[in-house]
Amino acid sequence: MDFFDSILYGFQVTFQPINFLFCGVGVLVGTLVGVLPGIGPAGAMALLLPATFKFSTTSTIILLAGIYYGVQYGGSTTSILVNIPGEASSVMTCIDGHQMARQGRAGPALGIAAWGSFIAGTISNIGLMLVAIPLAHAALRLGPPEYFALMCTGLIIVTYLAQGSVLKAIMMGLVGIILGSIGLDLITGFPRFTFGINELTDGVGIVPLVMGLFGISEILENLEGTLEREVFKTRIKNLWPSFNDWMESKWAIVRGSLIGFVLGILPGGGAVTSTFVSYAVEKKISKHPEKFGKGAIAGVAGPESANNAAAGGSLIPLLSLGIPPNPIMAIFFSALIIHGIQPGPLLIRQHPDLFWGLVASLYLGNAFLLILNLPLIGLWVKVLEIPYKILFPLILLFCLIGVYSMNNLSFDLYVMLFFGVVGWIMRKFGYEGAPLILAYVLGPMLENALRQSLLISQGSFLIFFTRPISAVALGFACLLLLTTLLPHFKKRRQQYDQFKE
Amino acid sequence: MKTLDQTSSLFWLLVSILVFAESLRIGIGTVQNPGMGFMTFGASGILGILSLVVFLQASGRKEDLRHKPLFAGTLWRRILFVLLVLTVYARVMPVLGYLISTFVLMSLLFWVLERKKIWFVLLYALLATLFTHLVFSKWLNCQFPQGLFGF
Repeated sequence: MDFFDSILYGFQVTFQPINFLFCGVGVLVGTLVGVLPGIGPAGAMALLLPATFKFSTTSTIILLAGIYYGVQYGGSTTSILVNIPGEASSVMTCIDGHQMARQGRAGPALGIAAWGSFIAGTISNIGLMLVAIPLAHAALRLGPPEYFALMCTGLIIVTYLAQGSVLKAIMMGLVGIILGSIGLDLITGFPRFTFGINELTDGVGIVPLVMGLFGISEILENLEGTLEREVFKTRIKNLWPSFNDWMESKWAIVRGSLIGFVLGILPGGGAVTSTFVSYAVEKKISKHPEKFGKGAIAGVAGPESANNAAAGGSLIPLLSLGIPPNPIMAIFFSALIIHGIQPGPLLIRQHPDLFWGLVASLYLGNAFLLILNLPLIGLWVKVLEIPYKILFPLILLFCLIGVYSMNNLSFDLYVMLFFGVVGWIMRKFGYEGAPLILAYVLGPMLENALRQSLLISQGSFLIFFTRPISAVALGFACLLLLTTLLPHFKKRRQQYDQFKE
Repeated sequence: MKTLDQTSSLFWLLVSILVFAESLRIGIGTVQNPGMGFMTFGASGILGILSLVVFLQASGRKEDLRHKPLFAGTLWRRILFVLLVLTVYARVMPVLGYLISTFVLMSLLFWVLERKKIWFVLLYALLATLFTHLVFSKWLNCQFPQGLFGF
């Protein structure tokens, strides 16, 4: 099949009634999750995953991708109208988006967020088609040392980009690796770290882990306080941005799309990081940086475009290398494994329906989202007005159902509650869950690649430095680690100089 | 933050020691032929070292007097109640079945925040239970326990 035949084939797959329905349900659920603070994209995907077991892998992946995309759109509504980011990737939208709403320009803010997201989503889909296939071909030449180095680099980047302490983020990555090793050893088949608990033989399930660390812990955090939030009351009009708004936003959308796409591909990057970078770039190159923070439309258009483009970009390492670059993709990875498909360089060749169906569904999903987020914006405003005291029991129930229906085991509920409490305490102590989840998923692959590499090299760690790709990747990771240490040394040096004087 | 970092780093140090010991027990193998404790041996070793670094860094810092106590203002009774109810739910759901146990759970969860309107609480709980049963059990074919009463 040539390129255009493949795209047409993808649309044939996507327009099958079940896939069409799943795409619609995915973006609808995603927008809902994005609007409501609480579950998050990882939790929502984990929740719906068990319900997809009887459907095809393509339908499942289309559903999950719809959720991921939808969350990016939905998060902007909460940021603009409530000044609370529905998701971490919408934090930057709060700054100028909410200011625009306060100035009576909620409509253009929501409009440019939706249009920017749509344009960025489309650009990133084109990028996905163009990059994923050559990368998958190239990846066939990669061996265990290269995979080990790339996964290490991904983990280091995630910890480097952590919002808090890098040291703590690295520690969480190590805890994730340890958690990922619970269960049967990949090579010998013997159980380890199960402490005689039969249910742990298959390891700690990703669904209870994610639901606990992200869903339950957030609910517990919310339960600490008064649960009240204020929706900014304004009449939403002029959802179609004016000519001036378009002029001010057009390059922000293009730049946001490119930044998001590139950062999405990089291991460890993703929607959250790209929004921060995009906002910083827009502010830096703007002729009126003083307007940022006071309702600059470019401050909404850039980050909103970036988070959507990153969603598409981050599919590339997963689909072509089999390496999930961020925790959300880790859920995708698990979904593929659960459905019996090994993500990696052969995926596109062996499952063209999945790849091209997914690509086409991204176009369709973007169109759905535009309809959901512009004409139906009033519906989401109503959803925002539902009191949290009604939402929280429902979110808890969905978490319970999602986790239980995975294996029909009460044990999984205990695991979720355990990690819920752990996640809640981790938040208090300044530890992040994202590096833990990514390391948990990458851990077994990392271990496999390390052990295979050492077997190949007969115990020599030099194998990682004599092969160019792994040497460059590990060198880059080391450089990143060094840059985190430099400010510390600089500070010490200054203290020493002051003391000497 | 100083005390928090000291406490948490000591906790992770303890975890790393336990994992380190267990890795040695199950066998780390050799570099030529790594055993099943090899990776966790390395991971726990580094975790232990980093925990010590965080502990020492925290010990060298001055305590921030403006820092609020960690759990100040936390509605403890509410959180403990929710956790207790969820734990009991996980225990009794296979025995009582999905419908009964979920109705009781939802009633308690709605009640914990809206204690005055008992009829609303019961109505919301009933609607939530029936809706999720319909969607997940009937439409999506999730297998929920039927319990003693067969429903």
